[in-house]
Amino acid sequence: MISAVIIVLREVLEGVLMICMLMASASAMGHRLRWLPAALVLGFFGAFSYAVFLEQISMAFDGLGQEIISASLLLAVAVLLIVHNFLATRHANLPEASAPALAVLGVCVAASAMSMSREGAEIYLYVYAFGVQAGEMASVLSGAAIGAGIGLSLGTFMYYGLRALPWRTCLWVSAGIATVTGAGLVMQATYYLGQADILPGQAALWDSSSLVAESSLTGELLQAALGYEATPTAVQLSLYLASILAALGAMALARVSVKTREYRK
Amino acid sequence: MNRKGKIDQRPGRALLTGTALCGFMLLSGSVALAQTLEVEIQIREHLFYPSEVRIPSNTKVKLVIRNLDATPEEFESYELNREKVIVGNSQGIVFIGPLEPGEYPFFGEFNPRTAQGKVIVE
Repeated sequence: MISAVIIVLREVLEGVLMICMLMASASAMGHRLRWLPAALVLGFFGAFSYAVFLEQISMAFDGLGQEIISASLLLAVAVLLIVHNFLATRHANLPEASAPALAVLGVCVAASAMSMSREGAEIYLYVYAFGVQAGEMASVLSGAAIGAGIGLSLGTFMYYGLRALPWRTCLWVSAGIATVTGAGLVMQATYYLGQADILPGQAALWDSSSLVAESSLTGELLQAALGYEATPTAVQLSLYLASILAALGAMALARVSVKTREYRK
Repeated sequence: MNRKGKIDQRPGRALLTGTALCGFMLLSGSVALAQTLEVEIQIREHLFYPSEVRIPSNTKVKLVIRNLDATPEEFESYELNREKVIVGNSQGIVFIGPLEPGEYPFFGEFNPRTAQGKVIVE
């Protein structure tokens, strides 16, 4: 049961934190949470299809289909988070200049659903094989429920924490979270690309595993929140920093676009 | 075309050059393939065989992980930054390295207590 708790918590944590941040941010931009059911339905459907077709997906692209799909999903969500920062900054600077609801909600739905598809597929495979097929329903399901429960409580805590802030501060904090989360996703994508031999393997620049081991609780939390990597390579570090710069650049761009709009008036 | 600007009337020569070129490409391709060391790991009864994989340092290695169980398993390693789900009765490829000498543990996320192993880089 303990392994079910850990597996589900690990998979759920990163996605839940991102979705709850998007919920708080979209609310601060004046949108109600009506997009959430659509995201959940799409996410569950995506996770189910990914899990069911995983064997075929794995065999695609000369046996590297899983890596290519995972990396693509991760990078797509990272790009959506950068778009989120652009939209959030625009709204924070000049609410009248806010993007149409469809753009904001589209970003939220797509990012949430893609994140759920990737993480959810693993949970489905685990619960189905070791719970349903192995006849261990009670222990696996209760473990999964506890793991998901812990993840959801942390997410709820984050959502209400962000909502308690003044709406503008909420948007800035959300954009900050999106910036580091996005960089973390890019970092994860580099693992898959390395695993598929698309990105070259390189010597690590440093090894901070004696300081914070990736397998420790702190390491896991830091990995989910910031994409912590104890032994980054030059390519990984550059892509991580490039992602942070892109997110900050999108915010600067949004600010400039609002200023020119104000100037024209 | 030859130097005089006429179209070369000797197709045999072109064919020969073409064949030689293809042959060279095939050869160099197979040399490149032969350079990637391949190591097979099997999963049986939620255990890795072999559980210790020895590979040379600073070399790229292709791990072929064959899951002979009916249940899925996730090959995972924090130290190698690798994570791959291998559904029951199938196989997956994971490239690792080039690596510094040392020990790099891996485990099966779905059976973390039993399914453990390590890559030893020498």
